[in-house]
Amino acid sequence: MFLEDVIVLENINISNNYFLLKVLTKKLCTNAKAGQFFMIKSNDNSRILRRPISLHNIDGNILEFYYEALGSGTYEISNLRPNDVINIHGSLGNGFSTTPINKNIVVIGGGIGIAPMKYLIKSLLPNNNITFIAGASDSHSIKIVERFNFPNVHNIITTLDGSTGITGNVIDALNPILEKNNIDLIYTCGPFKMMEAVARLSHKHNILCEISLEERMACGIKACVGCSIITKNGMKKVCYDGPVFNSLDIIEENIGGTNE
Amino acid sequence: MNNNLNLNFLGIDLNNPLLTASGCFGYGLEYKDYFNPNELGAVVLKGITLEPRNGNKGIRIAETPSGMLNCVGLENPGINEFKKLLPSIKKEISIPLVANINGSVLDDYVQLAKKIELIKEIDIVELNISCPNVKDGGMAFGSNPKMARHVTHEVRKVLSKPLIVKLSPNVTNIVEISKIVEEEGADAIALINTLLGISIDIKSKKPLLGNVMGGLSGPAIKPIALRMIYQVSQQVSIPILGMGGISSTNDAIEFFMAGATCISLGSSLFSNPTLPLEIKQGLEKYLNDNGIDCISSLIGLAHPDNGVSYRERIKL
Repeated sequence: MFLEDVIVLENINISNNYFLLKVLTKKLCTNAKAGQFFMIKSNDNSRILRRPISLHNIDGNILEFYYEALGSGTYEISNLRPNDVINIHGSLGNGFSTTPINKNIVVIGGGIGIAPMKYLIKSLLPNNNITFIAGASDSHSIKIVERFNFPNVHNIITTLDGSTGITGNVIDALNPILEKNNIDLIYTCGPFKMMEAVARLSHKHNILCEISLEERMACGIKACVGCSIITKNGMKKVCYDGPVFNSLDIIEENIGGTNE
Repeated sequence: MNNNLNLNFLGIDLNNPLLTASGCFGYGLEYKDYFNPNELGAVVLKGITLEPRNGNKGIRIAETPSGMLNCVGLENPGINEFKKLLPSIKKEISIPLVANINGSVLDDYVQLAKKIELIKEIDIVELNISCPNVKDGGMAFGSNPKMARHVTHEVRKVLSKPLIVKLSPNVTNIVEISKIVEEEGADAIALINTLLGISIDIKSKKPLLGNVMGGLSGPAIKPIALRMIYQVSQQVSIPILGMGGISSTNDAIEFFMAGATCISLGSSLFSNPTLPLEIKQGLEKYLNDNGIDCISSLIGLAHPDNGVSYRERIKL
């Protein structure tokens, strides 16, 4: 059983519409893996669907979710206050590969796609050499990275408006790294066009690349078939077969439309 | 635990009248981490077609007030792959299995029914002439009285298994179509499939769903489902499998009182995967609290004659 009523500890407004929700759980933290997600239930019953939110971090018995209040469901979540109780369902999906050892890894998060990267870095860090590229449009959209206090991670920030870090996008930061270093693995999550560009560059350098996709979903357990996408291996459900896919499996033209 | 939820449906003894709505319960095993599927009365499997279908492109799901739109478009692996799934389904599910069959043209339905007739693992067939999300066929059969008659007639000819015909609410006169499929040999009627709707993305200024239109389900459609079941059950002599936005025990009781013999749980399962257990316990408690021996005595209670004549007509 993966359903639990959890208690809200904090719901911090990081910047603009970006929030960090921390909840106390009894059991959901034990098996959760980087790159997986949880379905968060609204307390307003007129909203009949849960919202899939990716796991941002686990800290003991505390699950953390970094999310953007974008529609009515996430807006309601942003109004949760300490001691509120919400029902969450998870952890769901496959998650990133977290078993590599002694690899040179680049982790790339774009915008709200930075969300799953904190726990990914935490999971990979003890055994690997990690470069983290975080990209966004402006400094507000990247403020969460100030809370990534990892020693021994090479951090690169890019913003399109140059308000923080390198002026440009994550590709501008990734290119020189791939030219100069032997990178074994790339993990990415963010806008589809960004991931597409990251994947192309990875393919060019023959580097294995894992990308985390996003789709609207109703159930989260492959029953509703709302999040199906066409891949090179046939129809796959983002909620169950994903959300993490090998970039080579994704047929670009068929999923670009819904992720922009 | 007493057995007052038992009932006979289409000649088959069911543990209880709780079924799943096709397309909301996958192929029966998706929810097994949340409850044992054998707790249900029967499982209605996701709709199948002769050939595999990828379904619709683009956004397939949109939440709406107290409901949701979907335009999945009958994504399924086709009958041949479906057959291969059955042994693993049967390994875990011992209650009756219902196959939901779909087609674009009449012959698709007939060919599929012939194949299903030979599959021993399938106990009941649900003829879906009401899918709103496919370009050809689907709802066209269920919203045109002549086509509804024709397809039911032809499928009945090749099928000896119990036949449920699932009707579309997107019609002017649901009673007329219900009577027609009854005349043509349907053993039961499933009411209701989803209602056609659209949602518009005000940023792109275009319809949100990839297929423009989608089927509306959830509590928003419950009053419409109840109304149609109430109307139809007073005019036919076959049982009704009722569905449309059931999300609580009280909802379930309303459906029985309107005239449903069994009910299907659909989109409410998505956010509440243990809903069948809740409703099962709720119904048992309701019957015990009210001194009612048998769930079937609730059927049609809201009719002007308290359902007496309808229960007689369906031999309960």
